[in-house]
Amino acid sequence: MTSSHTPRRRAARRRMETKDVVLIALFCAIIVVLGLVPPVDLGVAGVPITLQTLGVMLAGAVLGPVRGALACALVVLLTIAGLPVLAGGRGGFGVVPGPTGGYLLGWIPGAFVTGLLVTVLATRPRSRPARQAATVVACLVGGILVVYALGVPWTSVSTGLSLRQSTVTALYFLPGDAFKAVVAGLVAQNVRQAYPIERR
Amino acid sequence: MRVTLDAVTVRFGSRAVLQDLTLELSEPRIGLIGANGSGKSTLARLLNGLVLPGEGTVRVDGLDTAEDARAIRKRVGFVFQNPDNQIVLPIVREDLAFGLKNTGVPRREIPERVERQLAHFGIAHLADRPSHALSGGEKQLVALAAVLVMRPELVVLDEPTTLLDLRNRNVIRAAVAALPQQAVVVTHDLDLLTGYDRVLVLDEGRVVHDGKPRIAVPWYVEHCS
Amino acid sequence: MTPRLSLYLPGDTPLHRARADWKLSVLLLAGIGVFLVRSPAVLGPCAGLAAVALLSVRTPPRQLARHLTGPFVVLALVPAAAAVFQSAATAVTVGLRLCTLLLAALAVTLTTRTSDILDVLERALRPLERTRLVNAAAVGLAVSLALRFIPEAFHRFHDIREAQAARGLSGSPVALLVPLAVRMLKSAEDIAAAVDARCYPPPAARHTERGGAAAAPPPARSPAPAGRKDEEATG
Repeated sequence: MTSSHTPRRRAARRRMETKDVVLIALFCAIIVVLGLVPPVDLGVAGVPITLQTLGVMLAGAVLGPVRGALACALVVLLTIAGLPVLAGGRGGFGVVPGPTGGYLLGWIPGAFVTGLLVTVLATRPRSRPARQAATVVACLVGGILVVYALGVPWTSVSTGLSLRQSTVTALYFLPGDAFKAVVAGLVAQNVRQAYPIERR
Repeated sequence: MRVTLDAVTVRFGSRAVLQDLTLELSEPRIGLIGANGSGKSTLARLLNGLVLPGEGTVRVDGLDTAEDARAIRKRVGFVFQNPDNQIVLPIVREDLAFGLKNTGVPRREIPERVERQLAHFGIAHLADRPSHALSGGEKQLVALAAVLVMRPELVVLDEPTTLLDLRNRNVIRAAVAALPQQAVVVTHDLDLLTGYDRVLVLDEGRVVHDGKPRIAVPWYVEHCS
Repeated sequence: MTPRLSLYLPGDTPLHRARADWKLSVLLLAGIGVFLVRSPAVLGPCAGLAAVALLSVRTPPRQLARHLTGPFVVLALVPAAAAVFQSAATAVTVGLRLCTLLLAALAVTLTTRTSDILDVLERALRPLERTRLVNAAAVGLAVSLALRFIPEAFHRFHDIREAQAARGLSGSPVALLVPLAVRMLKSAEDIAAAVDARCYPPPAARHTERGGAAAAPPPARSPAPAGRKDEEATG
């Protein structure tokens, strides 16, 4: 069954429906599962990385800004609640004040910006490669720039490292994250073609 | 309960899934059969307001599904085809309590009703199991229990046996046959319909045959397969 | 092969018996507090206290060791980095801060049931409900659904991986993730219908009244009664 919405739905402040709650929960589940499955050795700088942050970009790119951000917020909530939902089975209240806490919280605005940019950039171009490229750019900006913008200063506060040193540590993860952003962009574009859903 | 459809048309996009349907359903056991895409699942979903008619009205004991879906869903239970997707809470016990909490059953009554329903199906031992760890047949039994615990007056079942293996199919068949409630059953499983009061055959959004199973089922086999 | 979905360790120590809201409040205050002080004379006893709290939980040593490996790496690396790049004094301050927080958080995580923590969080969110930004019933449902479908997503991921391996597509994240996401999106419709069919939302929080299944276009001719509609929350 395909969903058909009346134009009335275009109202600026649309309410949360059951399906939105379900989509948020399911993408939260995807993000968690991508952290649980054995890391994929991407051979980038020899660092084995998990696909968890890929799930974050995917949530924003597929679900749109609001639901994508809420899916990430749900992961944060489960983490705080003491569930081992982060890559490597990490979880618990202690993650937030830790050195990587800012990256975790950064997922929320990160997914939001990814979703927003996909909506603005990737729905207009006619040609498929152009849409594809725009989705990848959205994932790079939202999933890396925004997430790091919160993560780096947080590391600096949490560990006493200077901002510059925190930035250097972050750069170590950049190649892996950039690769994930490209994959997320490709996946999101394919998913939206195979199963278009109304974006929010 | 008496369900009446009055000149109901349902469209998804430009395609009419049900066309100008006028029906009255009040028999204790009603079967809905038809090819895939004939509109039978949509018809089932009209009965508790999961799908609303684009034109016409659906009334359940006089209540319009477009206006009183909540009150209607309290009285019309719905069992879906895929047991994986209809158990929505992580633990069996919690899942049975879900509908009761939503309908405002007092909190202290809930555990007892849940226990009794599970015991009635002989699955009390599953109460504290995680939902995802159940077998397909167990899942469908739990899903049925989660609907019946709400004490609906009418139960709508949308292909409840389609995704099950033979043994589990028999378990669900027996459970459905033993339902004290009025039931509307969408199915491809023609054996299920023996002894039913009425069978509707749907084709391309219209009711093409309506009668007792001993006539309707052979008619369907002859004309639609 | 399914992930274990809680770090809770059943037991009957004083920390197990303490109220969840107290434990979480203390943790939150400690989290803010340790970043306000720099003096090792204050932070040292704090870290000691956290360690005592953790030991009072009586975790089996092997399990405790497993839980501590993650924090231990952080505790070793971060002060080391601080010592190299900053000063020894900073290294001590940072080390004690993190030690306090990670050990105390682990102690709370091990002794508090997930459902209790979620109850506290839901209560904490309740004042925000009036701002209409948060809908406690929807948050509760989202958490439950996530817990329900994490194992399901895990199974689906493995099913897809096996199927892809059989077709010689192993290792391509795109070939893995597209079907996973599409399958989850497709089941969302069914799950939402199942939730709605069982009378969600509960009467106490009718913010999303008649959040019909996506298959159900809202009839233009029969809008929900005005009184209810005004209460609707937005995402």
